[in-house]
Amino acid sequence: MKIILPDKTSRETKAGPVTVEALVRDLGFDPIEVIVARNGTLVTEDAVVENTDEVRIIRIAHGG
Amino acid sequence: MACDDVPVKTPRCDCCSGPAVFHDKKTARHLCREHFIADIEERVAETIRSRHLIVPGDHVVIALSGGKDSTALLMILARLLPSWDSVRLSAVTIDEGIAGYREDTIHSADQLVARYGMDHTSIPFTDLFGGTLDAFLKGREAEACSVCGILRRKALNVAAERAGATKLATGHNLDDEAQSVFMNVLRGDLPRLVRDSGSDSKGRFTPRIKPLMFVSEKEIAVYLMLHGAWADLPECPYAVHALRGEVRSMLATLESKHPGTMLHLMESKTRIEAQCAGRLDEEPVRHCRECGDPCSGETCQLCTLKKTLSQ
Repeated sequence: MKIILPDKTSRETKAGPVTVEALVRDLGFDPIEVIVARNGTLVTEDAVVENTDEVRIIRIAHGG
Repeated sequence: MACDDVPVKTPRCDCCSGPAVFHDKKTARHLCREHFIADIEERVAETIRSRHLIVPGDHVVIALSGGKDSTALLMILARLLPSWDSVRLSAVTIDEGIAGYREDTIHSADQLVARYGMDHTSIPFTDLFGGTLDAFLKGREAEACSVCGILRRKALNVAAERAGATKLATGHNLDDEAQSVFMNVLRGDLPRLVRDSGSDSKGRFTPRIKPLMFVSEKEIAVYLMLHGAWADLPECPYAVHALRGEVRSMLATLESKHPGTMLHLMESKTRIEAQCAGRLDEEPVRHCRECGDPCSGETCQLCTLKKTLSQ
């Protein structure tokens, strides 16, 4: 699984299959403060990501 | 999108069984793109209707920073307002002068109003106050939010007046409002807790409205992402100094563990407001002895602040 972090860096992991929420928490984020796209499509925290997926984590900037 | 294209491990929309893009943990609802967008817009419309935030003939000026909240506000109001009678929309941007932050959001605001063909004016702090926020805050960064708050309030009042606005719409969302409730409780500030910025104006200033007050920050981010309008903009560099930052972090943790916490805070505020109605002593309206603006003391906050800025 390729994970693209909010700072645009990426990393590979074999953590899947795993829920988005578990993955996000494992990476040190609170699910309420990020949104997640799987292969370019937004998914919910209870969706499952596989090792073949590209997962992008977007941090919600405050203010504005 | 055809259902066959969707992996089985994608939760389904409760309304149509399409692929869900949002899960509301409080209600346990899953919504697809179309039903999520419709839900957000209907909730904003209901907030406006039930609170009479906008009435026929209004000229609503949107305080458009170009950040995510005001961008979503403009997009939603532009979608909703054509169905309402004779309501006009325009936008105003205040340029505080925050290097490395405001340039990007102002560029984003310019692009947005151009796309909607909306009247738009921009007012820099330098024109109104003779300097940028960055310059004013040298050596007093810890006071950033209170200094900026006073100056922005004045700037927005001037902008609304110049535009001939009958309402000034800001992008405050559920997270912002819940944080404010919590902060006012922490400060023991009951009058401010029950004060409503719209009804509080009493003809002194253009009434402010907050149509997104029941839409969470995350919902706004998802709404923008689904419209291809998400911009990865920087956060205000002064935000780290604010009490609000600590409260935001605390409330986010609570909301995550106990979904609905922020809405419950808003409900608490509503109940306290009802209990306090007519019981709190109204502050007499005075006029600042230096600038003549309405205020509660002898000198308004802005004139008091200006003296310290020039030192």
